[in-house]
Amino acid sequence: MLSEYSVVEGRSGHFFRILGGLALLALMGVGAFFYIEHHGHAVTGMNNQIVWGLPHIFAISLLVMASGALNMGSMSTVFAVKQFEQFGRFSAFLSIALLAGGLTVLMLDLGRPDNMLLPMVYMNFRSMFTWNVFLYTGFATLCLLYLWSMFEYKQYKKFIGTVAFGWRLVLTTGTGSIFGVIQGREVFGSAITAPTFVAASLTSGTAIGILLLVYAYRNTDRFMDDRLIFGMRNALIFFMMLFAYLLVVEKFTRFYDPASYDVQIWILTGSWAWLYWGGVWGVGVIIPLLLLFNHSIGNRVGGITLASGFVVAGVFCFVGHVLLAGQAYPLDLFPGYAVSSPFLDGVVGSYTPTLPELFLGLGGVGVSGVIFLLGVRFLRMLPKQGVAPEGWELPWSP
Amino acid sequence: MTMDRRSVLGLGGAIAAGVVLAPGMYLVAAPQTPSDAPKDPAESPPPKRWAMLIDTTKCSASCTACVDACRQENNVPLFGDPERDIYWIRKVELRDKGLRKPPVSLPVLCNHCENPPCVHVCPTAASFTRKDGVVLIDKHRCIGCRYCIIACPYKARSLVYYKTKPPANTNKAVPIRAAGVVEKCTFCVHRIDNGEPPACVAACQGAEKGAMIFGDINDPQSEISQRLLTVKTQTMRPDLGLKPQVHYQGI
Repeated sequence: MLSEYSVVEGRSGHFFRILGGLALLALMGVGAFFYIEHHGHAVTGMNNQIVWGLPHIFAISLLVMASGALNMGSMSTVFAVKQFEQFGRFSAFLSIALLAGGLTVLMLDLGRPDNMLLPMVYMNFRSMFTWNVFLYTGFATLCLLYLWSMFEYKQYKKFIGTVAFGWRLVLTTGTGSIFGVIQGREVFGSAITAPTFVAASLTSGTAIGILLLVYAYRNTDRFMDDRLIFGMRNALIFFMMLFAYLLVVEKFTRFYDPASYDVQIWILTGSWAWLYWGGVWGVGVIIPLLLLFNHSIGNRVGGITLASGFVVAGVFCFVGHVLLAGQAYPLDLFPGYAVSSPFLDGVVGSYTPTLPELFLGLGGVGVSGVIFLLGVRFLRMLPKQGVAPEGWELPWSP
Repeated sequence: MTMDRRSVLGLGGAIAAGVVLAPGMYLVAAPQTPSDAPKDPAESPPPKRWAMLIDTTKCSASCTACVDACRQENNVPLFGDPERDIYWIRKVELRDKGLRKPPVSLPVLCNHCENPPCVHVCPTAASFTRKDGVVLIDKHRCIGCRYCIIACPYKARSLVYYKTKPPANTNKAVPIRAAGVVEKCTFCVHRIDNGEPPACVAACQGAEKGAMIFGDINDPQSEISQRLLTVKTQTMRPDLGLKPQVHYQGI
């Protein structure tokens, strides 16, 4: 039933324009890196209160999406959802591409990028970052093996795909735990942060998969059974509701603790509340859910891709809100006392990103995009036709 | 003289074994304890544990002697950019939210915690704790990831945002500054290793009424040990369980 795979021909002007655009983004990222490296991080909007800024939001969003992009592969290999099996190669390769882009930004934003290999030499095994070094390299290796098994050695596919599925859950737990395990900051330090990151990864990974699949099939004149996209829509709705559920539970548990009232009210009404309500909830959850539950929009491929675009932007906002609000809230040095100092103690941190930061972050998107495009150009990642298995019926539609 | 293959392999193996084993043999043969060390380990003096006590009742809001002395001693520049200036020590004003107590002014610096979260999160172990409890940063090993700044609940760390040149009156006892690296108070480790108090403490005792004292809390006879026994003190955020070693009196 499943059709054969083929490469994207990549001879059209359209292909080269996209490739050129993404390569330009990557080059601008490299330029921004040298600019920041030459002048010091003072040319960024980051400061001693907000030490992680826009590059980290790009990097972590890409890493979260990278683990989520494996969804289609995992759904077929681990959970035997056969209609997605044909997109397994695409799914595993997209994970690698997004991971590479995210890690590139993370590495190039270091204060001492010339020391970037030191974490491989000197390891502090109590550090969440050290664990993440292993989690990221392990995930990339597993994705490569998974891809290789799908191409050549199908007998190993089930085993490697299952290990990769478990690994990606641990990986995103590790990413979320970078913030979740920090007890010294009132906004961070929640056991629910890591599972929320896992839900964000499931959501955004499915959304980016839908966007790229639809775009690739539309622009290479390949046939795609719309029901496949509708199936992905249903998965996306489920993941989004999981994400929304965890967001609500996090707020519920924090609000149940009277000591957290001040900080939680600040999150809901303070200087970054616009990002929480407008970005995380509005763009990331409410608008896409309204679109997907709408009978006419939710049953059209165009409507589903629009909602997917909102979801990707919403998860970007989620990561941004966790980072920026988490750092901006002033440290409570002496509970019960208001503090002030020339080092801006007691003041909500301010952060205005600068162009070099934006370019560095977009450079990561460019790196991911170039890798992905070259992958589909030279390796047979995409099936010639996206067809649904015979007799398969969509269980639900809005 | 000719050697057959077996002899060459045997000789090579012996040389290789010698190279591998010799350092170990030397270590085994070397005396394990210095001759003047006490025979009973229980008699050894406990290692030092440096700590600071700040009497806030003696600290006036207008005095910045400790901050100025620290900048001078450790070559800490002021960039004129409040959001990115480096502070190893700063004066903080406290105002009781319930308005029942008068305002308090006190210096805040690295607390050299017994359970330092900065050391815990540092991926390359660039942040480390010496045996005497001083928390330091190896600037050559720091990659500038800033996770330690995120983890520190006292805002004791700063990233060097600007490239700097050592000033003309540089104190050469302090390592030069590197852009992109995180730094913080060292308890003036170069001074305490020479038996001198940290610069802030020395300046405080000279300029004001001696609000800051510094010493070894493992020595029961030290002034700080005696004071910690006899006066009511508190640390910053004791609820976090980090066991900070900067104690405040009079809050």
